[in-house]
Amino acid sequence: MNRIVKKVRTSLASKVIVSTVLLSLGVVWITGSALYSQLSAGVKQVNLETSLAEARSSFFNAQYEFLLVDGAKNSIITKTVQEIIISSTAVSLNQDRKSIFLSRISSVLDTGSEIEAIDYTTVTDELDVTSFPTELRKRVQTSDLVEYQYATVSYKNRADADVLIAGRRIAIPDSGNYEMYFVYSLTNQNTTLALITKSLLVTGLVLLFLIGLITWLVVRQVVKPVREAARIAQQFTEGDFSQRMQVESSDEIATLGTAFNDMALSLESQISRLENLSRVQQRFVSDVSHELRTPLTTLRMASEVIYGQRKNFDPTIARSSELLVAQLDRFEGLLEDLLEISRFDAEVAVLEPADFDLVGLIKRCMADLLGNENGQQSVINLYHATEQVMIKADVRRVERIMRNLLSNALDHAEDKPVDVTIISTSTEVGVGVRDHGPGIEPLVLSRVFDRFWRADPSRARVRGGTGLGLSIALEDARLHNGELDAWGAPGFGAHFVMTLPRIAGEQISGRPIRSQPFDYPQTN
Amino acid sequence: MTLVMVVDDDQDLAEMLGIVLTGAGIDVDLVSRGDEVLEVFRHNPPDLVLLDVMLPGLDGIEVCKLIRAESMVPIIMLSAKGDTHDVVLGLEAGADDYMVKPFRHASELVARIRTRLRRTNADVLGLLTIGDLSIDVTAHEIIRGGKKIALTRLEFDLLVALAKEPGRVFSRDALLSEVWGYRHSTDTRLVNVHVQRLRSKVEHDPEHPAIVMTVRGVGYKAGVSGAS
Repeated sequence: MNRIVKKVRTSLASKVIVSTVLLSLGVVWITGSALYSQLSAGVKQVNLETSLAEARSSFFNAQYEFLLVDGAKNSIITKTVQEIIISSTAVSLNQDRKSIFLSRISSVLDTGSEIEAIDYTTVTDELDVTSFPTELRKRVQTSDLVEYQYATVSYKNRADADVLIAGRRIAIPDSGNYEMYFVYSLTNQNTTLALITKSLLVTGLVLLFLIGLITWLVVRQVVKPVREAARIAQQFTEGDFSQRMQVESSDEIATLGTAFNDMALSLESQISRLENLSRVQQRFVSDVSHELRTPLTTLRMASEVIYGQRKNFDPTIARSSELLVAQLDRFEGLLEDLLEISRFDAEVAVLEPADFDLVGLIKRCMADLLGNENGQQSVINLYHATEQVMIKADVRRVERIMRNLLSNALDHAEDKPVDVTIISTSTEVGVGVRDHGPGIEPLVLSRVFDRFWRADPSRARVRGGTGLGLSIALEDARLHNGELDAWGAPGFGAHFVMTLPRIAGEQISGRPIRSQPFDYPQTN
Repeated sequence: MTLVMVVDDDQDLAEMLGIVLTGAGIDVDLVSRGDEVLEVFRHNPPDLVLLDVMLPGLDGIEVCKLIRAESMVPIIMLSAKGDTHDVVLGLEAGADDYMVKPFRHASELVARIRTRLRRTNADVLGLLTIGDLSIDVTAHEIIRGGKKIALTRLEFDLLVALAKEPGRVFSRDALLSEVWGYRHSTDTRLVNVHVQRLRSKVEHDPEHPAIVMTVRGVGYKAGVSGAS
């Protein structure tokens, strides 16, 4: 049922068909009812008139017969009564059954007379006379005319039946006044009426079905192009711009098709223009990359050769060679970061997921960074519940994120320990990196992921970041469908939380680690 | 003296490479155009080729294929692009190793060259078997049913590394340090591409390898000796 309701709600064709059929049902119902009431009234009228005419003639005949035998012997009168009963109950062609009921109202002789007058009271067909309507009997007993009524009567050997009763007062010689009733069965009439009802119903249903069918055919002509347009629009969404609608006529539907195709053409050309621009941009980045890297390679090798010989130079040249090497490192780092950012901007950054142990990777990053410590006393505490946390992600990118967060934390830790926490659920893994340094101002916090933005320009750069590290880390995390959150408050240090899906590309449903640490006093 | 052919269109870089390599005791033959490589190569076969990807005349990838078609000499590609696509293309064309410009240190380049040039597996000598192959380490030959199979030196090293410890499962990282001489690297593309290439040469059916077996989620191991 729900499916049908849903179908009607979502399909224009079904909607039109259902409403048309419902409206037609109303029309068919009203016309059908009117037709039926007219037909049935006619049938009943004809039946009534026939029956009454027959009854009148039977009554007249009976009266006539009794007049003829007035004064005759009782045996002759009795015979006449029997003949009348037989002839009156004879069934004509279109009649089902006719019963007769003869009942004496009063005797000709005074009560108490020694000779009892013969009583001709008769009932045929096992009719139960008590089920006769008393009101009709009263009318017959008092009136001189033929009286009639529709009624339901009982039989002793049959089910109750709808009948037409016609009655009249009649005198039988040497006996008294009688009520004489003819009971006409209505079975035939009812059969006719049932037949009419059935025909009307069948006609109505066929009509409804045909109306539905016609509506469907008509609606389909309109809906088909609309569906086609929807299908093509869907394919557009999926990136296939080659689809076009077929325009075969010159009506409104054809106008829709033409307009749709024009739109498609315009979209296609716009998109290919943008794609082309993007290709040019990528090409440019790639070329810049190549053109810059080659001289940089030469520079590096040359500087290394000079650097290797620095012991033979005087101190200022030796120091210059050291600076040269260091600045080339920095320049190269900057170039790498810029290229990476441009890859993200051009949306050509590709994820290369592999299964690996996150704990092992973080330990390796820590070892590398602590090995490079320039006399600082910062220590990293690592908290993890399980020995291994296997995830499927891009190792290079995750390593880059972790190195960035760790070296940032070490830079700002002011020789206080840095806490690294790993918490994993079945679907995601969170890594929190917390330092207990000076913390981050709220204003600053909103900009930490901005490119080339530095919290404190006057700060010495121990690790020589490029100013792009956190922006890249954020892009890296998002490329995995993960997230990177930053929290900080003056005096409470900073907390960076990386959340990644256990399998790169799946959605994260929450944060295993909250970015606001638990030791921060709640304000709300 | 060892001879290395340096193919790079950038004159300054080529000269610098020459200075560094000569300083390390390696002779250098400089070529600046891709379409000149083969001629010089035939005339004066080097012990190793250092090949840039972008070259005038003929693309480095194409040059690599041409050299591979007639020699098993070690080839190290020099690429200015770190993108997977170019790296994999170079490796599939037959390069043994690649380095992305700019190199961290010139010494790293020298170290890579020496790894590729060292006499393979001086620690094992004699005969090894892997699957239905026999490896004559001393003669540097792979034999199946009396027939020799030609492998590059790197592919040979890879096969020997697996064959000399038949039970061991090698992670990709382990193979990188064993065969390529990387200290710690997570670049598994090198291993994947070379295993594929090795399989295409030694397996009966590369789709169902019996010599270099994959251990899902871990790495590779040698196929059972004697099995086919």
